[in-house]
Amino acid sequence: MKERDAPGAPDDELIRRTLGGDEDAFRELVERYKSRAFGVVVGIVGSRDDALDVVQESFVKAYYKLKDFRFGSNFYTWFYRLLVNQAIDRWRKTSRSGEVPLDEGWLSEEVTPPDSFAHPSTPEKLLENRELGEALQKAIAALPEHHRAVILLREVEGMAYEDIAKTLGCSQGTVMSRLHYAREKLKAALGRHMGG
Amino acid sequence: MDCGNARKLIEARADGLLPPGAGEGLDAHLASCAACAADRARTDAVGLLLRSRAAAQAVSADRRLDAMWTRVRAGIAEGREAPPPFRPWKWAWVPAAAALVVSALLFYPTKLDRSPFNPRTFDVSVEEVESDTATVALVDKGEDLPRVIWIIEDAKS
Repeated sequence: MKERDAPGAPDDELIRRTLGGDEDAFRELVERYKSRAFGVVVGIVGSRDDALDVVQESFVKAYYKLKDFRFGSNFYTWFYRLLVNQAIDRWRKTSRSGEVPLDEGWLSEEVTPPDSFAHPSTPEKLLENRELGEALQKAIAALPEHHRAVILLREVEGMAYEDIAKTLGCSQGTVMSRLHYAREKLKAALGRHMGG
Repeated sequence: MDCGNARKLIEARADGLLPPGAGEGLDAHLASCAACAADRARTDAVGLLLRSRAAAQAVSADRRLDAMWTRVRAGIAEGREAPPPFRPWKWAWVPAAAALVVSALLFYPTKLDRSPFNPRTFDVSVEEVESDTATVALVDKGEDLPRVIWIIEDAKS
């Protein structure tokens, strides 16, 4: 996976400096990846508050585990594995306690998705359809956590099957089947609102 | 192209894995098949909505994400101050090993000329025992002295 939006020192150099005691170097890694990390975690855990906690805990854990990082491999894939596992753990805890969060803040009028995420081939009205958004939200919440993680890593992060497999510690075949399953479920949820 | 193949290619296209040359055939099929065209629209919509949702959630959390480093730094400092976690299971093997050693010492025969019961053949027999309580005994008649291995008393072993 390429390091997107990562100008400045390469990750490896920042990791070496962090291991040498330079906390500012780790800060740079946090600043570099916090938004992307949040974007995926919030999709898995469903709540912004929980997502912020998970991102924070994952960075702290990564800091202490950094000595185990293998130079030459990709920091973000390594970090993502830790991050996604933390997110899945959090989801399991909240779902066991019966407090499954369904953050619908993004559906309110005050929050508008940035234009950069618009897709020219898809009707813009799609995004304005609150019912559709709610249907999607419920369908995502109903997916098993690993399926949810796979489709978010693919669709939101644009990760390749191989990287998703490394991140989740499973085979590419498993990634493909989970992705297909998750897509079918979400498509079925949307289909009722798109005349399908 | 049949609909089954078209559905596979729709998914492959969404993942940027459309085989070279397959795009034209797929587009031709989509132009003539309303069901597959609808499936393609739904596939694209899933991706778009997931990205929009993630972006909107990140925008709304922007201010709190600004404070992420402060939170992380506090977590790191907390980890430094906290004593190493007590892991009782880390040393759980010690009493277990000690118990094993003690039982080996207790039950291993002290007379070295007589090996522990470890028959290569089952040279045992069931015999009646003259006793008020014991009704049946399992006796090892090997090597030298016969040994009682098991006694069943009033149907209780």
